[in-house]
Amino acid sequence: MTGSSNGVEKTIWDRLFTALVTAIYIFLMFPIVLVVLLSFNSGEFLAFPLEGFSLRWFEALFSNKRFLDATLYSIQIAATSTVVNGVIGTLAAIYVARHATMARDYIRLIMTAPLLVPEILTAIALLFYFYEIRIGTDYSIAIQIGHIVVTFPYVFLNVSSALFNFDRSQEEAARSLGAGGWMTFRRVTLPAIKPGIITGCLFAFVISFDIFNISLLLKSLGKNTLPLELFDYLRFNFDPTAAAIASLSIFMTFAAILIIDRTVGLRSLRF
Amino acid sequence: MSAVEAAPRVDSRGNRGSAAWMVVPALVLLIGFFALPYLTIITMSLREASTRAVYGDGFTLAHYTTALGDFYIWGILGRTLLIGATVTVISLLLGYPVAYHLAKSRSRWTSLLYIFVLSPLLVGLVVRTFAWMIILSNNGVANQALKAAGLIDFPLQLMNNSLGVTIALTHVFLPFIILPLLGNLQAISPDLAMASRSLGASRMRTFWKVTLPLSMPGIQAGTILVFVLSISAYVTPAMLGGTGGRTMSVLVVQYLVDNFRWPAGAALAIIMAAVAVIFVGLYLRLTARAMRRLP
Repeated sequence: MTGSSNGVEKTIWDRLFTALVTAIYIFLMFPIVLVVLLSFNSGEFLAFPLEGFSLRWFEALFSNKRFLDATLYSIQIAATSTVVNGVIGTLAAIYVARHATMARDYIRLIMTAPLLVPEILTAIALLFYFYEIRIGTDYSIAIQIGHIVVTFPYVFLNVSSALFNFDRSQEEAARSLGAGGWMTFRRVTLPAIKPGIITGCLFAFVISFDIFNISLLLKSLGKNTLPLELFDYLRFNFDPTAAAIASLSIFMTFAAILIIDRTVGLRSLRF
Repeated sequence: MSAVEAAPRVDSRGNRGSAAWMVVPALVLLIGFFALPYLTIITMSLREASTRAVYGDGFTLAHYTTALGDFYIWGILGRTLLIGATVTVISLLLGYPVAYHLAKSRSRWTSLLYIFVLSPLLVGLVVRTFAWMIILSNNGVANQALKAAGLIDFPLQLMNNSLGVTIALTHVFLPFIILPLLGNLQAISPDLAMASRSLGASRMRTFWKVTLPLSMPGIQAGTILVFVLSISAYVTPAMLGGTGGRTMSVLVVQYLVDNFRWPAGAALAIIMAAVAVIFVGLYLRLTARAMRRLP
C-alpha cells in the first residue's frame, strides 16, 4: 500500500502513518538503548546528561561476588534446561509429527500448555506441589524442574515446525537405498531439522535465563538467579551497576537473536 | 500432503508401540510437573489455615468467602482488570500500525525492524521494568525532559501508581500483539485489497471494509494474549507499582512469600484465574458475533 511502487503519490496520510510507526518503533527500542547508554556512562546517577564513556560500572559488577555467583547459577540452570529440553523436546516433536495418530491433538495441547497459562500460576502450582511431595525448595531441583517445564514448549514448537516443513520422501529414499532407522535419522532427518533444534534451544536458554516468577517462588534460600539478584539489588540501590547487569543481559539476548537470524531467519521463530 | 499419506509408512504402522518411548519423558515431565501441580492449587485453596503448619487438618471454603467479602481485595481486583483492559486497548492501537507496516514493508530494513519488535520480547522482564524505572522516577528521564522543556516545575508522579504500571506493561507486552497480527496480515492475499481498490473504493474504505475485518482473528488472538499476560504480570507491578499500583499477582505473592498464608493465597490465585477465564469467555462471545458477519 505504501506508495511509490504502486505509482501512487505520497499523501499527507502516508507521512502521518510513517511518523506514527516510527514513533512506535522508537518507543519499543528506547528503554533498551537507554539502559545500555547509561551503563557506559561515567556519572554517578542513572540520569542525563551523559558525562563520558567509562567501564567503571562493569568493573563494579565483575568485582561483586553476588552478581558473579548469580550469573553462574543462571547459566547453569539455563544450560541444564536447554540440554534436557533439546533431547526430550526433540524426541516428543518427532513422535507427534511421525507416530502419534489418535491422541495427537491432546498430546500437542499438553506439550504447549505451559505457554498458554500465566507463568505465575505455574510457579504457585509447583511451589505447593513440591511441598506436598516432600521435595520442597531446599535444593536446586525444584527451580530446575520449573525452568525445564516453562521452556519446554519453545523446543517442541520449533522442532515441530522444522519437521512439518521437511519433505519426508527423503527419508524413504534413504530407507530404500538400504539405510537403517538410526542411520536414516542421523544422516537425513537430523541435519534437516537441526535449524529448528538450534532455534528452540537458543530460545529455551534465553527464556530460562530471563524468567522470574518461577525462580522467585521455587528458589532455595540464599541462591539467586541473575534476575532475582537484580530485583533484590534494586530494592535498596538505584545506580549504574544495575544498568551494567541489564546491559550484559541485553548483549546476550542480541547475540542469540543474531545467531538465530544468521542460521534460520527470525521469521521462522515459533512462539 | 497426499504424497506423504500415500507413501508406505515405514515405522508408524508396524512399530508404533516401539516409538512411544520417544514421548514418554516429555509426558512424564508435563503430567508429573505441570498438570498434577495445577490440581494442588485447588486442594491448597480448600485447606484450613494453621498457625503451626503450612495448613491445618480439615477442609473449608472460608478463604473464598473471606476474600470475596473483602472490599480491599475487590479494589485490587478491579484495578488489575482496569490495568489489563487499558494495556490491551493501547497495545492494539499501537501494535496494529506496526504489524500493518511490517506486513507491507519490502525495504531491506525490514529484518532490522523485525529485530526492533522481537528484542523487547527476549530481553528479561526485570531489565525492561528497570529501564522504565529510570524513565518514570521522580527525577527520571521523562521528568527531566519535561522540566527542560519548561512544561512542568515540579516532577509528575509517573510511577508507584497504576499509570506507571500501565505504561511499562504496554511496552512489555506490545510484541505479543504485533506478532499474531503480523502473521494474520501476511496471510491475507493482497489481491483482495487490489480488487477493492480497482472497484473504486478509497484506500481508507478498503482498509475498513476489507483488511480490518480479515485481520479480526489476529486481533482476537493478540488482545487475549496481552490481557491475560498483563493481569497476571508480577514483576512490573511489583517493581514500579508501589502500593498505588498493587495488583492481584503482587497480593498473591505477598500472601505466599511474606505472610506464609498458602491456603488463602491459593484461593486468591484461583479467584484471579476464574475472573480471567470469565472475561476471556465473554470477550470470545462478543468477538465471535462480530466475526460471524465476515464474508
